[in-house]
Amino acid sequence: MRTIRNVADRLIGLSAILGSVGLLAEMIIILTDVVGRAFGAPLYGSQDLVIMTMVTVVFGGMAICDRKGGHIAIDLFEDHYSRLFNRIVDAGSALLGAIIFAMIAWTVFESAKLSIMLNLSTNLLNLPKAWFQWGLCGFALLTSFGMLLRAVELAFHNHNIHKESPFV
Amino acid sequence: MSEPGIGLAFLAILLVLLIIRVPVALAMFVVGYFGIAILNGFNAANSTLASETFTLASSPELVVIPLFILMGNIASVTGLSRQLYDAAYALIGQVRGGLASATILGCGGFAALSGSSVASALTMGKVALGEMDRYKYDNRLSTGAVAAGGTLGILIPPSTGFVIYAILTEQSIGRLFMAGILPGLLLLVLFIATISLLCWFRPEFGPSGPRTTARQKLQALIGAGPIVAVILLTIGGIYGGVFSPVEAAAVGAGFVIILGFVTSKLKLDMFWKATRESIVTTATVMLILIAAHLLNPFLALSQIPQFVGDVLLHLNLSVYAVLAIILAIYLVLGCFLEGFAMMVLTLPIFFPIITQLGIDPIWFGVLVVLTLEMGLISPPVGINVFIVKSVATDVPLGRIFVGVAPFWIAMLVALVILVSFPQISLVLPNTMIN
Repeated sequence: MRTIRNVADRLIGLSAILGSVGLLAEMIIILTDVVGRAFGAPLYGSQDLVIMTMVTVVFGGMAICDRKGGHIAIDLFEDHYSRLFNRIVDAGSALLGAIIFAMIAWTVFESAKLSIMLNLSTNLLNLPKAWFQWGLCGFALLTSFGMLLRAVELAFHNHNIHKESPFV
Repeated sequence: MSEPGIGLAFLAILLVLLIIRVPVALAMFVVGYFGIAILNGFNAANSTLASETFTLASSPELVVIPLFILMGNIASVTGLSRQLYDAAYALIGQVRGGLASATILGCGGFAALSGSSVASALTMGKVALGEMDRYKYDNRLSTGAVAAGGTLGILIPPSTGFVIYAILTEQSIGRLFMAGILPGLLLLVLFIATISLLCWFRPEFGPSGPRTTARQKLQALIGAGPIVAVILLTIGGIYGGVFSPVEAAAVGAGFVIILGFVTSKLKLDMFWKATRESIVTTATVMLILIAAHLLNPFLALSQIPQFVGDVLLHLNLSVYAVLAIILAIYLVLGCFLEGFAMMVLTLPIFFPIITQLGIDPIWFGVLVVLTLEMGLISPPVGINVFIVKSVATDVPLGRIFVGVAPFWIAMLVALVILVSFPQISLVLPNTMIN
């Protein structure tokens, strides 16, 4: 179990690095475009690059968001529930999240097949849309795996990864 | 079962899931997906899930979210809040209650950099609470000022609250940002007036701070100059039609990063950490937005908004009465729900009613965001109060809630003024260039 957790954490870290690099790339692309525009030479296809990088920023951060317990929940009544109930809800929520992200991966993968069939691409640079849909699927699957692992740890080992091994 | 019946049953399930602490986004996913599946079949649910997810994750307008979050996080770690506070302190610290007023001004300035109430309360709390403690300020006033001042982050642009509202209601982010400026300033003035009144009646609440020389004032103002430049560049750029909000966010983030490195206040490890924190926050916000876009079609299919709208319209109430009812619901919900989640959950129901009644959506956006702001300091779950508590560990929570009460009343006054005079919110967006 420990080995699986280590592997998962490394993958989550890698995904976060890709997301962070994507965010900085987005900023640099837009800045280059703005400065270039001031001199009459905007960056060609900047919008294509920005919106596709956005997929990496958004979904690259999903796995680390769950790993760090970043999802908003209404914890007003938490102290009124029993420990067992809270554990069941935590494990159940993690499992639910795993299923949702697996479904996102599956439905977007199916949609990518359509994109290939219809030859869909970005407006200016003609970057195939399917590439970014596959990227999204990969990040979603990793998030699903991370959540499933968290559910298993909570259910069978009573190990709350958010509290006991915070991600640094 | 009728369609509104199914809708109400699923909303009840959503409420139960939220009460038992299932994350908001996941609860909305479940209800939205299965709701669409029951009303329109699994193929429709699958195709909505795929299309909404990819469309939102690659939306050009939403690029503004991670970039403004990055700007705020970098501003936080580089200690720019300290310079803002120092400038305000040098200007008005020597009058009675001046340190608390300086805190409010510092919060207002930081709000124009970060767009986050929590970040404003946390960073300003670290800077200002110690100072006010040193000058024997009553801790109800000091903690109340920080908690309330922090809420300005959600109203003064760039505001994450406005971005979310804009995406959910298909309004212009730039116009909403402009609409928030005057109400934000109004609230800032009301907060300072509240402090002055409190210190007028109870001078021991906020003794005068030390006098500063003209040279010290000038030095403090020069120190805050670059930050003011960032604010003018981003907000002024949007107003003047020089930048789109997305471009302003990128320019602001880039400027703050360069400023941090040039002044040696930003180290590589801090920079990397702030960037990573930004994608975590982005993921939190975006997952809820994606879930909301799954829930919205379900609500539309179930005809819940029409149902609620019909009920309100059959009551034959005036537009202002309906608006008052909706705002009252927001104020009550704000006591129990996280503000962002509350907006995502309720706008699909209330917004169609608002447009049907001919209420200006930009004006309504300002009112909604202000009520969210009030929720941030309302018991029992006022998040800003907990943030201040995490910094002022020796002050009992009840005392902080007592301290924020006068500021909550000031916000209520601001709400009444903004409802009575819509032009305060609308004058800037209506005179925007482009």
